[in-house]
Amino acid sequence: MRLPLFFTGLLLAVNAFAGAPEDTVRQAMATLAPKVKIDVVQESAVPGFYEAIAGGEFVYVSKDGRYVIDGNAYDVANKRDLTASARAKVRKVAIDKVGPEKRITFLPSAPLATKHKVVVFTDVDCPFCRRFHQQIAQYNAKGIAVDYLFYPLSIHPGADKKAEAVWCSKDRPNAFTAAMAGQDPGKGACPNPVPELTHLAQSLGISGTPTILADDGTQIPSQIAMSPDQLAAELDRLAAASAAHN
Amino acid sequence: MKLRLCLLALIAAATLAHAAETPQDAAARKALGELVPQAKIDTVEAAPLPGYRQVIVGSQMVYISDDGKYMLQGTLYDSKNKIDLTGQRLAVDHKRKVDAVPASKRIVFAPPNPKHKITVFTDIDCGYCRKLHSQIAEYNKRGIEVDYLFFPRSGLNSPSYDKAVSVWCAKDRNAAFTAAKAGKNPDPLKCENPVADEYKLGAQVGVDGTPTVFAADGTKIGGYLSPDQMLSKLENLGKATLAGN
Repeated sequence: MRLPLFFTGLLLAVNAFAGAPEDTVRQAMATLAPKVKIDVVQESAVPGFYEAIAGGEFVYVSKDGRYVIDGNAYDVANKRDLTASARAKVRKVAIDKVGPEKRITFLPSAPLATKHKVVVFTDVDCPFCRRFHQQIAQYNAKGIAVDYLFYPLSIHPGADKKAEAVWCSKDRPNAFTAAMAGQDPGKGACPNPVPELTHLAQSLGISGTPTILADDGTQIPSQIAMSPDQLAAELDRLAAASAAHN
Repeated sequence: MKLRLCLLALIAAATLAHAAETPQDAAARKALGELVPQAKIDTVEAAPLPGYRQVIVGSQMVYISDDGKYMLQGTLYDSKNKIDLTGQRLAVDHKRKVDAVPASKRIVFAPPNPKHKITVFTDIDCGYCRKLHSQIAEYNKRGIEVDYLFFPRSGLNSPSYDKAVSVWCAKDRNAAFTAAKAGKNPDPLKCENPVADEYKLGAQVGVDGTPTVFAADGTKIGGYLSPDQMLSKLENLGKATLAGN
């Protein structure tokens, strides 16, 4: 009887010492960067490390809490950027929680079928966001459904109010298209998801607009996404690659 | 006698083996070669991070697991002692590379008894380089020796490169340097000169603009600082090192 108890005590002690991953990461980061916000803590694909999002960026923390690497991890044999994969996964999970009622959606209309879906963080006053939306019919024609999430940047004063006015208008997609063509959406106030989506983007380390994410959370480089042809080809490629992995 | 000789031979062999590359070093080289075939490796050694090698490539550092499976690229910190281990190690490497440039290949502006020395990668035509040099007497007055190395930003086929060579080849190098920094075009001259070597060295120590200032311990201080700011930075570097020890 004594022996098992003793063992249990020992196990408990060991667990208390090792601590939860969150505690280990928080303690390590507290000495290095006390003010930085830690959003996600999880097991890393790199053995011996936890990975966390600190201030929007991935960091790797050794499980004993002593070492922190602020940077990227790669799988050598498969030539994979593990940080990019982890970032995509975290973003997918977070974005999947955003319900359709918080998005402005432009779908391919029949007879066109939806082949791919992208989520675009957008800002009414960002020139490339406007250029992207000018091509919305072409993206849809390629079978790409576009879900917009508002992310007015602080470098565009007043863009948050415009986003709110678009959101609160009667015909949301039309108001959005008009605003993206440069029309002033006027004023409008109502309960809206703009602050929540802005916060979400920041916590995911998204710092600019438009930020275009594939369905699996992979960020598509803007220079590709700005071309409907290239975006369609890239989404085909990603889908094929992920099918090959599974 | 025989035994003695044998032992000596063994010791010699052991010493050689120690100097040679370990399997972990080889795995790190191979891993980096696969990921970044064009990388030119300067140094491979055991990292402070257990189970990892650190590899210096030019002015950058990567960490590779001893089995060659994982590469981490970024800044490594020791959270217990609050040390930037990557910065610390790269500073040592930068110091070694910068110190390898002899005084005869620098343009030196020094006070009588310097308390500090900075090495400045400079371009005749850059605004903040000119501003820095316009205050050279003030840096010197604060006990700071300024050693210039040339880093013509626009490359080796540029007017700034030609000006650097002309200054180097002038009879009174320091005077020609000061005049050129004040906007006077130097008389075009050519001679054997270290400008191209210094430009290449700059790339090796992470110079990506001018002026780039290094402290004597190899710490990259960065760009322009006023004489007072520079002095304060240099004196605090000393304290930070002491605190780290």
